[in-house]
Amino acid sequence: MKKEVDARNVACPKPVIMTKKALDSIAEGTVTTIVDNEVAKENVSKLAKGSNFRCKVEKTKDGNFLINITKGINTEGEEETTNVCTSDTFSDMTIAITSDKMGKGKDELGNILMKGFIYTLTESIPYPSTILFYNTGVNLTVEGSEVLDDLKELEDEGVEIISCGTCLDYLDVKDKLKVGEVSNMYTIVEKLKGASNTLTI
Amino acid sequence: MKKEIYGVITFKSTNHAIKGEKALKNININIKTIPTPREITSSCGLSIKFDLDDLLKVKEVIKENELAIKGIYKTIRKGLNKKTIEI
Repeated sequence: MKKEVDARNVACPKPVIMTKKALDSIAEGTVTTIVDNEVAKENVSKLAKGSNFRCKVEKTKDGNFLINITKGINTEGEEETTNVCTSDTFSDMTIAITSDKMGKGKDELGNILMKGFIYTLTESIPYPSTILFYNTGVNLTVEGSEVLDDLKELEDEGVEIISCGTCLDYLDVKDKLKVGEVSNMYTIVEKLKGASNTLTI
Repeated sequence: MKKEIYGVITFKSTNHAIKGEKALKNININIKTIPTPREITSSCGLSIKFDLDDLLKVKEVIKENELAIKGIYKTIRKGLNKKTIEI
């Protein structure tokens, strides 16, 4: 039995619910869920892992994720099913960028180091799952930032880029956001608490 | 897999790298200050990435501003794999 679930363009936690329904409706077989973002991919993978189903994640060319979940008597209880969802492309990590400069001291140097830091993120695997920008850190995600192309590259790879709305507003650059999404303190707290690893720069 | 070919200039000191960035930005070419790639060890930590089409312009600026460079390299990047050769 094969089932396909198209969970693109639906908000969390819909992809998980849709996948769960499809899995519940079959005794054994494969459910393929297609999602369009990293968070949904992780959540659906977690569902599969939690139920001890075998799952395989593929990334499509257009940036979607295909999650193949196999449900069946012979897959349950196998040892290898515990870790099959771990992808080597992403680590469950949030990087919080709290300033547009890296370190304290010389501003010019701090700017250069920050540029280098973001650039190097594009070249090192695993990628963090989320990068948060707050306080003057949001200067990096708005018009005029020298790291926009690097951040766009990371976003294309599936990294979640989140800027603090209050900060964009305070610095009067809200309409200049060029990459990622705007979010509020609830999301920031959730992302900082939820990741198994948090790096503050 | 993304493929990219670009030039990298390495410098003898960080200050020269910063000076180089300013001078090259002045002539309106597409450049970027990056950490020196690991494959190139013998230089300071900052390098400048540029478009190889601008190689002649870049060389001119280096000469005019008497920038203390260590070398100019060509990097071919395929995904996360990089190959760098001195030019």
